[in-house]
Amino acid sequence: MNPRNSLAATCHRRLVILACSLTLNGSLAAESMPAESKTVQAQEPWSERALANPMSSADFSGRLDQQRLQTLIDAGEHLFTARFTTLDGVGRPMATQAIIPTKRKRAPRSAFSRTAGMDANACSSCHNVPLVGGAGDFTANVFVSEGFQHTDFDTTDPQFSNERNTNHLFGSGLIELLAREMSGELQALRTQALRTARESGEPTSMALSSKGVNFGQLHAWPDGRVATHDIEGVDQDLVIRPFSHKGVMTSLRQFTINALNHHHGMQATERFGERWTGQQDHDEDGVRNELGPGDVSALVAWQAALPPPGRLSPADERWQNAAARGERHFRNAGCNDCHRRTLPLDSLDFADPGHLDAAGTLRHAEATDATYPLALLAWAKQLERDDSGRYLIPLFGDLKRHRIADQSLSALGNELLSQRFVERNVFMTSELWGIASTAPYGHRGDMSTLAEVIDAHGGEARSARDAWSHLNEQQKSDMIAFLKTLVIAP
Amino acid sequence: MLASLLFGSWAGNALAQQAEEPATPFAGDIPLMMEEAVAAGITHSYDGPWEYFVGGGVSTFDCNQDRLPDMYLAGGQQSAALFVNRSQAGGRLQFDPVDDSSLTLDRVIGSYPLDIDNDGFQDLVVLRVGENRLFKGGPDCRFTPANVSWNFNGGNAWTTAFSASFEPGQAYPTLAVGNYVDRAAPGSPWGTCHPNELHRPAAEPEPKSESPRPDYSSVLPLEPGYCALSMLFTDWNKTGVDALRITNDRQYYRGGQEQLWRLDSGRYPRLYGAAEGWEPVVIWGMGIAEADLDADGYPEYALTSMGDTKLQVLDLQQAIEENRPSYQDMAWDRGATAHRPYTGEDLKPSTGWHSQFEDLNNDALLDLFITKGNVERMSDFAAFDPDNLLLGTHQATFSEQGLAAGLALDRRGRGASITDFNADGLLDIVVVNRGANISLFRNGGMQGPEGLRAGGNWLKLALQQKGNNRHAIGARVSIKTGNRVQTRRLQSGGGHASGSAGFIHVGLGVAERATVRVQWPDGQWSAPFKLFANHHVIIERDSIETMQWFPPTPLP
Repeated sequence: MNPRNSLAATCHRRLVILACSLTLNGSLAAESMPAESKTVQAQEPWSERALANPMSSADFSGRLDQQRLQTLIDAGEHLFTARFTTLDGVGRPMATQAIIPTKRKRAPRSAFSRTAGMDANACSSCHNVPLVGGAGDFTANVFVSEGFQHTDFDTTDPQFSNERNTNHLFGSGLIELLAREMSGELQALRTQALRTARESGEPTSMALSSKGVNFGQLHAWPDGRVATHDIEGVDQDLVIRPFSHKGVMTSLRQFTINALNHHHGMQATERFGERWTGQQDHDEDGVRNELGPGDVSALVAWQAALPPPGRLSPADERWQNAAARGERHFRNAGCNDCHRRTLPLDSLDFADPGHLDAAGTLRHAEATDATYPLALLAWAKQLERDDSGRYLIPLFGDLKRHRIADQSLSALGNELLSQRFVERNVFMTSELWGIASTAPYGHRGDMSTLAEVIDAHGGEARSARDAWSHLNEQQKSDMIAFLKTLVIAP
Repeated sequence: MLASLLFGSWAGNALAQQAEEPATPFAGDIPLMMEEAVAAGITHSYDGPWEYFVGGGVSTFDCNQDRLPDMYLAGGQQSAALFVNRSQAGGRLQFDPVDDSSLTLDRVIGSYPLDIDNDGFQDLVVLRVGENRLFKGGPDCRFTPANVSWNFNGGNAWTTAFSASFEPGQAYPTLAVGNYVDRAAPGSPWGTCHPNELHRPAAEPEPKSESPRPDYSSVLPLEPGYCALSMLFTDWNKTGVDALRITNDRQYYRGGQEQLWRLDSGRYPRLYGAAEGWEPVVIWGMGIAEADLDADGYPEYALTSMGDTKLQVLDLQQAIEENRPSYQDMAWDRGATAHRPYTGEDLKPSTGWHSQFEDLNNDALLDLFITKGNVERMSDFAAFDPDNLLLGTHQATFSEQGLAAGLALDRRGRGASITDFNADGLLDIVVVNRGANISLFRNGGMQGPEGLRAGGNWLKLALQQKGNNRHAIGARVSIKTGNRVQTRRLQSGGGHASGSAGFIHVGLGVAERATVRVQWPDGQWSAPFKLFANHHVIIERDSIETMQWFPPTPLP
């Protein structure tokens, strides 16, 4: 064993791996280190600092092998579970929760606030059901506001924010890979439509479909114009943003940077640093350059590597049979029109950064590019594959946004504020994998049973919901039995 | 000599002190501007005797309806030339000359594109030593002489400035023509500035013609003229009515100053005077750039000169309470004086010409580009005088980064245009040089520790409306990202003998989305449009939907 590995093995991974990694990675690039950390020579065992040593993206560039990938993942787990402190940069007295660096007019009276944030000590404070990286109880709801106006709201009145339940992150690397491939396919269709229009000299309409999911159509003119008003379920730029209930975050990286600032006041340099704000301490908490690209990469790698939820094989034969019947009911009712059992994925190579992020989230050539081969992970061997070798990702979703409420069934359209150009009653199809392990349900987490949330489906899901409502009690019970097999493995 | 003595008498000490202060490191993105005119297929210089010491303009506009900016270059004593843009999206720049164009004229000082007759095609106003020429644009870069058909008297002056505005109620634009020294006047050149001209279109006859056309048979002199080198119609007080700002060259006038003409509907133009708050400013005015740096609706102006550039900011209290155009020069405070070369051994004052505000690194902060170049062996001014790139900072100042950006060439810049020639969202620059080939700077991206990288997010917007003023000259655009608001105004004029038409470019920094509203030239506001970054967008008046536009992509 490499002496560095040997030393690493002696470290308690969850608590002090980064303290050890100071020794392991003595060559960490100084330029990426927060200014305060450059003077830190060692992490005392009793230190109140959670971030002892920043990760250097230079040490994790290119296509990572198993060892480097695991090191990065372990560091990411440490960061995900770390209870950040003011020594690390917790707090954003002069910055709001907004995704665009935005100054407060004055510091809030209290650093922590369950409404406007910052509202958590660690990522895992909320993402912990049934285990770290999971979902959250109602108590872990977050209040989502744009963070530009009324940033210090101290009420749960929905005119100021949308109350959202915490999503689980298992399988999120696969979700992002699917979204990237689908975005690429949709944009290729747009290019094809434009080329056809230019070559023919006639306007052209192009149906937008990727991996069997229909996203409406676009219209292209020979002069290069494109009309997007008939596009469905995806933004005008044909970028599928798979994360958050609303489906408005492009990548784990973007989500991570947003959340670090919102929930902890930990600001990543790739968005809040001097390049984009002119300041090294944008939130004016006294700590400069709080999180470098390497730290964010570690968090991304850990999340991307989380195994996908699985299917429980009940020991109880009655449950087995009921689940089998329930899956048929699920299909026959049309639930899988949106909650598709699988979507095919070509590659398990997770490039970080990805190619769809915009400025403010790390992009190609801005630091050191890396590829995390998720195929190296043990769970990847279990993935089902089709005849052409594609991985069949069992997400029970379509990565498409839908109108989910209507006049008579409005419970899932219970928000007053639109978010990032997405109307208030439109949400991304919730992936059902892991749903048995992640109660409560609904965007607000205010439904305690699966039956309640199914009953609440309106809008585009109305016909499937009506089909569900016409099932007899036994059939409904069967469907619940099926859904209860979609678990996050302990 | 006269110029240097005057300059030294009032500003020398202060500027010398500023120059000794250590430069603050610039933390933002610095674009890499790569000069590739010859590689792009352009060999063209501006030259000639005294009359061509000034001028040397360029128009960038789309003349073949592919939405890529083509360019028309003044040649001075030599022929002007039209080049069609053949660049691939995001690729190297490539241009083809149009050899048989009616625009192949000599004695051209500069030009401005403008759709004068409301047919949707960009026409061209060509400023000359001698008769100015209007050309009616058609498809495929075809231009037809239009002085006769539009009753435009091109005169015989030495024309060096131009601006246009669709005044309220008019079907066609009012054309302001700025003239320089009257060489035939006794005592020329000293104190013999030629009057400027205002060509207002005649009202359309009733009943309206089936083929209406502009009629510029009426010309108003704008006297006194003080040897204008740039002019710009501007809504300085946010009333929706343009005034005409003129920057003048003190080298030749006597008793002159900068000018602001009030153009109230139905009244003769009259100058704002000291009683109305207009304070005399005496400079070697060469070029005007306008921008609303703080998005308060009241524009700021950068005025180039010999020596220091002015950055004029309106006194809001006087403007709002008493409608007085009183300005303060904030160039010193904002680091925008650009008063002498930023590199090399030459400490003599600079000579500034074209100025233009744009966002070259897409960080959502406007930058100021200034061309520089000795007039002609003026020994009291810097001989090596590179163009400036003053990048905007988050502290509302500017940081000189011309050297780092690659602009510090030993050429004598004159007119210029900043536009995105290859439709990649990054602004490129063309500079017309006196006695040397043009500089065509392709923006290759931002310089980072790992090599070139992308800059901030961006949007490009094209406005269209039916009927008159189809390209919405005079429209304001408000771009909101988070709490930040940026504004742009579509104008025709300013700079140094150089104009542009086409997409409005806006840097968005880290914002992925923007809410955009348009205040059309008649004052009506559009609904807000929700737009995603990094796209070309066409906004058609009265349409609730926008259209995206994509340049042709090479076959795989």
